[in-house]
Amino acid sequence: MRPLGELEAQIMNRLWTWGRPAPARDIHADLNRTRPIAYSTVKTVAEILFRKGMLQREKQGRAWQYEPTCSRQQYTASLMQDALGDNPDPAGALLSFVEQMSASEVEALRSALRAAKRRGEA
Amino acid sequence: MTSTLFLAGYAAFVGVFAPRVLARARWTHRAPRLAVLAWYALMATFLVTVTLAAYHLVLREQHVHDGLVGLLSACGLFPVGSASHAAADPATLLPPALVVLLPAGWFLDRVWRTRRAQRRHVALLAVVGNPSADHDAVIVDHDTPVVYCLPGRYRQVVVTRAAIKVLSQEQLGAVLAHERAHIAGRHHLCHAMVDAFGRSFPGLPLARQAKGQVALLLEMAADDRALRLHSRENLAAAMCEVAAGRAPRAAFGAGGSSAAVRLHRLLVPAATPGRAARLGVVGGSLAALLVPLLIACGPFFG
Repeated sequence: MRPLGELEAQIMNRLWTWGRPAPARDIHADLNRTRPIAYSTVKTVAEILFRKGMLQREKQGRAWQYEPTCSRQQYTASLMQDALGDNPDPAGALLSFVEQMSASEVEALRSALRAAKRRGEA
Repeated sequence: MTSTLFLAGYAAFVGVFAPRVLARARWTHRAPRLAVLAWYALMATFLVTVTLAAYHLVLREQHVHDGLVGLLSACGLFPVGSASHAAADPATLLPPALVVLLPAGWFLDRVWRTRRAQRRHVALLAVVGNPSADHDAVIVDHDTPVVYCLPGRYRQVVVTRAAIKVLSQEQLGAVLAHERAHIAGRHHLCHAMVDAFGRSFPGLPLARQAKGQVALLLEMAADDRALRLHSRENLAAAMCEVAAGRAPRAAFGAGGSSAAVRLHRLLVPAATPGRAARLGVVGGSLAALLVPLLIACGPFFG
């Protein structure tokens, strides 16, 4: 994945873990513990996330406080909605390994598989 | 007028009758890639036929040129300027051009929309997914087993934790190979083409049939590619596990889901068609494409 995308994920992950609004300086300080990174880079990526609608911000004193607009679970749910075909999705944007099936059909598939295995062993 | 009528008749044959025959053919599941080619040949034939029919219709209505020179210019075999100013007239070229430009426009629209949807999806993936070098895929924390890929510019295979949990190492390998086959084969473009054709000719049996058939055949082609490196048992078992983990769907169309068809194909392998049969399909596809040109340009019909 792109380095910038990685930093986006790290910033989002920290804010989700903290569960409170935080200024870019706090995020930078925490990121800096694991690897050297420029404050301006963190600030820029936080602004990118804000423009993408993933972070909201509020001014407190002189600094912006950032906070995720949605929880991690909400993002995952939205992602899975794309993948499971609940969203109308243009042809071929995502190609799923198997599509949805009825319970009886899954059972039929399983017994077919078992029968084939027995044949293979016999 | 005769050639226009013949072209219209041939268009009806290719658009209505031929897809029924191809959809019922038994060899298609044994040679999915060849069958996809046959479907594209039918769609191309339909396009060429309708284009030529539209062109002829306009030419006849203008009553400009008959005879040999008119015929040759109608086929584009005669220099347009010297033969007939009718062919150079934009009004003459507009209907046939529309027949070609409409699907081309829809195709670009599909590709663009796909890319936009993927961009949004990739932005989400970037924040909630964990790239895994071991699997060469992005892992998402979710308790439904799901495996899918984004083909095209943002090529990426995505797997949920639940899928990794329910699948054995070998089964997961087979599934990932299937998804990579979609990416390597640029199957999203195949989908976009069929989709564009369907949007251009809504309600046409050929468009309706092609959409479902090509989607299934592309899955089979990806299965076949995965089987080069993985066993049938692993791929089939993986299909069951992933399907079983998903919320079941209540209602059903006739003939069962495509997964059932794919699984039976995996469990009961059939020999791929021989060289002669393959050549026959390719030859038939080419012949189907040549017929409208023969009708339009041949010496038999005026």
